[in-house]
Amino acid sequence: MSRKKAVKSKAATSSPSAGSPAGKGTGKAARSSPGIVQMNGVVHPSRPSISNSSEFYDIAFKVMLVGDSGVGKTCLLVRFKDGAFLAGSFISTVGIDFRNKVLNIDGVKVKLQIWDTAGQERFRSVTHAYYRDAHALLLLYDVTNKASFDNIQAWLTEIHEYAQQDVVLMLLGNKARSAIVLTLQEFGVPFMETSARSGLNVELAFTAVAKELKHRSMKDPSEKFTLHEYVSKEMKGTGCCRS
Amino acid sequence: MEKNQANNRTRATGDGGAKDRVDRVDPYGFERSEDFDYESYEEFMSEYLVVLTRRSIKWSKLLKGKNRVQKNVKLKRYVRKGIPNEHRALIWMAASGAQDQLEKNPGYYQSLLGAQHDHRLVETICTDLNRTFPDNIHFRKTSNQCLQKALYNVLLAYGHHNSDVGYCQGMNFIAGYLLIVTKDEEKSFWLMDALLGRILPDYYNPTMVGLKTDQEVLGELVKLKIPRVWQTMMDHNVMWTLVVSRWFICLYIDVLPVETVLRIWDCLFYEGSKILFRVALTLIHHNQPLIQQAQSLPDVCQVFKQITHGPFVNECHTFMQKIFTEPGSLSMATLTKLRTTCRSCITAEET
Repeated sequence: MSRKKAVKSKAATSSPSAGSPAGKGTGKAARSSPGIVQMNGVVHPSRPSISNSSEFYDIAFKVMLVGDSGVGKTCLLVRFKDGAFLAGSFISTVGIDFRNKVLNIDGVKVKLQIWDTAGQERFRSVTHAYYRDAHALLLLYDVTNKASFDNIQAWLTEIHEYAQQDVVLMLLGNKARSAIVLTLQEFGVPFMETSARSGLNVELAFTAVAKELKHRSMKDPSEKFTLHEYVSKEMKGTGCCRS
Repeated sequence: MEKNQANNRTRATGDGGAKDRVDRVDPYGFERSEDFDYESYEEFMSEYLVVLTRRSIKWSKLLKGKNRVQKNVKLKRYVRKGIPNEHRALIWMAASGAQDQLEKNPGYYQSLLGAQHDHRLVETICTDLNRTFPDNIHFRKTSNQCLQKALYNVLLAYGHHNSDVGYCQGMNFIAGYLLIVTKDEEKSFWLMDALLGRILPDYYNPTMVGLKTDQEVLGELVKLKIPRVWQTMMDHNVMWTLVVSRWFICLYIDVLPVETVLRIWDCLFYEGSKILFRVALTLIHHNQPLIQQAQSLPDVCQVFKQITHGPFVNECHTFMQKIFTEPGSLSMATLTKLRTTCRSCITAEET
């Protein structure tokens, strides 16, 4: 695996796609594109990318944040990306937005392209079209808002219908403070509580997902990794139910 | 606001760079971002102020203190060259038919606010109140005349007025802009009614079919007019919704610079939703080489973000001239035809 630097590149102007519209499918079938080698659904850059993040990376994955409006998806993402929590400084996400972050996972640079989605119900019919391209989904609810918890099942149904069968899925109870813990029903999905405000488990949630995705794509037999075990081992509880 | 100006004056005694001369808050109350390019802005404004002054004199002569206008070729030309901010509310109200509705329905807006409220609607609107322009000083709770309550009222009244739509995220930004420009709840309400009820197709109702349609229509127009970009999108399997949904839903708010958005809205209220396509096609056409260089889906998305920033979109006067030349002809007949075919494809797929 060669390590590439994603920089603005003049070489990109010689892209074979430029000026040769012939011989391509009509879109939805044209999955493999020049300059990209696809393996196990993982995007390996085989030439410099023009993307703005001028960071080295070995493998890239798409992660989507989903969940009800106002549960803190954007805050969680910004906490992870910039380490900051700025209360009341975000506007509601309309449609879809994204941010990139490169993580070092056991010596491998893993680039996560994280998609942030609008939470309002009517946007689901627009956003579920992107589920099929996601390698991982983080489903958020707000531990202080019962309605957002009650909607988890509806979100899971949506995810099972539109996402890839083997998508990495994790449930995050955001806005966790020490005392407030709702009864967790068993959804059969790895779960942890997070707080974009304090930073609790935020890094862990994304690292766990990145580790799982890296593990799957490298298929190293000497390495044993399960998301569930990793999360239960590393998770910092909020003071009750688990230690 | 006063405090801000005081701060700015203090700074103005500094080393004399553009950053010391230009206000930290724009004329609409938005704080300039950390990476705001003060030098380019000052350079642009030195020319644009001349344009604004010239236009302002022309508009004063045209209106002669009247608050009525007739739609005609001359007015259309004037609108395309930009409505001075002091006349914006008047021209938007007149051109969109909102003024007629307001006069035909006295007391209607107040009656909506006085009626019993749907608590789910209230809850949904409230989720977004603090998330509407936190970077605008008029939307802060600490502001003397905080616009949050007015925003809540307009959205609540509209949600009851058009219960098929209720409240859809994105409407908060539209209502917010209308309040900033008109400084009047009732006018903002009737302008919302003009936009959502007559000017735009059904973008905001629960199926969002109008939005899905227009995204595909844009795709078809790109295929016709800028085929190489269309090919790039196909090569990387990029759905249009991924890169342009915010352009349509927010009517370019928080996508393009404020002044540019208002210039676009001048034409939107006068000429209709066709303008949204002209803007999109201009952005794409102008940046064709950049888009074609994209090597992957994430690259394409990045480029589509990038093309909504920079001098091309900041220089709103030139940009607004470009939207009527760069994409070439775009007839309403073509648009209507494409909308019909795209909509029936979408409806067929969904059933």
